[in-house]
Amino acid sequence: MSTVGVQSVKIINIVESLLASNDQAAARNRQRLGKAGVLAVNIMSSPGAGKTSLITRTLEALRDRTRIGVIEGDIAGSIDTEKVMAAGARDAVQINTGGNCHLEANMVDRALDELDLSRFDVLFVENVGNLVCPTHWALGEHRKLCLVSTAEGHDKPIKYPQIFAIADVIVLNKIDLIELVDFERAFFYESVRALNPHAPILEVSCRSGAGLDAWTDWLLDQRAAL
Amino acid sequence: MHELSVAAALLERAETHADRLRASKVLAINLVIGERACIADDSLRFSFELLTPGTVAEGARLVVRRTPMRFRCPRCDRDYSPVGADFRCPACGNVGQVVDDGSELTIESLEVAQ
Repeated sequence: MSTVGVQSVKIINIVESLLASNDQAAARNRQRLGKAGVLAVNIMSSPGAGKTSLITRTLEALRDRTRIGVIEGDIAGSIDTEKVMAAGARDAVQINTGGNCHLEANMVDRALDELDLSRFDVLFVENVGNLVCPTHWALGEHRKLCLVSTAEGHDKPIKYPQIFAIADVIVLNKIDLIELVDFERAFFYESVRALNPHAPILEVSCRSGAGLDAWTDWLLDQRAAL
Repeated sequence: MHELSVAAALLERAETHADRLRASKVLAINLVIGERACIADDSLRFSFELLTPGTVAEGARLVVRRTPMRFRCPRCDRDYSPVGADFRCPACGNVGQVVDDGSELTIESLEVAQ
């Protein structure tokens, strides 16, 4: 047996978020956006809930009043970027995560480098469609939007509580389908309110346009409060 | 399935702190992970072991303490942890208010060799 040397073993208290580096990068993004007067909204939902539709309907509604840019997060492809540009976005950047199930703050940092922030009042960051992973990674947004659709079922808050707990606003899309999909509104509201007592819950239909005025009013209020 | 991203973030923190502490080796990392954080211990360990060879954290043990999701029942004036996806208070059946959503991801401490 040989002695390699005397080592001292110590336990060092840290007590910090495991994602501290991401949180720091997010804080830098938030500062950069705030300085430019751009309200950033992180849009999170499962695939198919209507993130891109909400963005395109908002662009159509506010085209003459508010300058909107978009960062599109997807595993692959640029189909959504083409859609939002066609709908009137001032500019849009596609982030392809190459398989990663969520956006991270450093990806948004790189996307911001490609945008002239002086051209926007509002920046939508469309996260990768997923109700779990995006909740952990702050991006530098000023507001977190949780989008859910009636077709997904009223049980989403109890199955995926975090995204409802951290949201600043909850948008319930496809309200025109509510009767067809046996969506229990009372159960949904009770579950959401157990997790998040204050965030507005806005019922909309991106297809019919119902409820979109309340949503754009909320968005403009947030921009004004920045 | 985001354990690989979490493991990469964990390694980055371990390397940063080891450097700051002039540690030659990270022997263990004590973590607090919420029960509802959607982190599977096995996947986290597997990912961490995949990333750490040749680093200061190679061979480090991951010690995980789990914290539950907690609600406060205003009617019973007490906290409870929901069973599965049932948010109701086990005593009175009322749906309480979340106190801890169980999504914590914290590095509590590091065991290092200096």
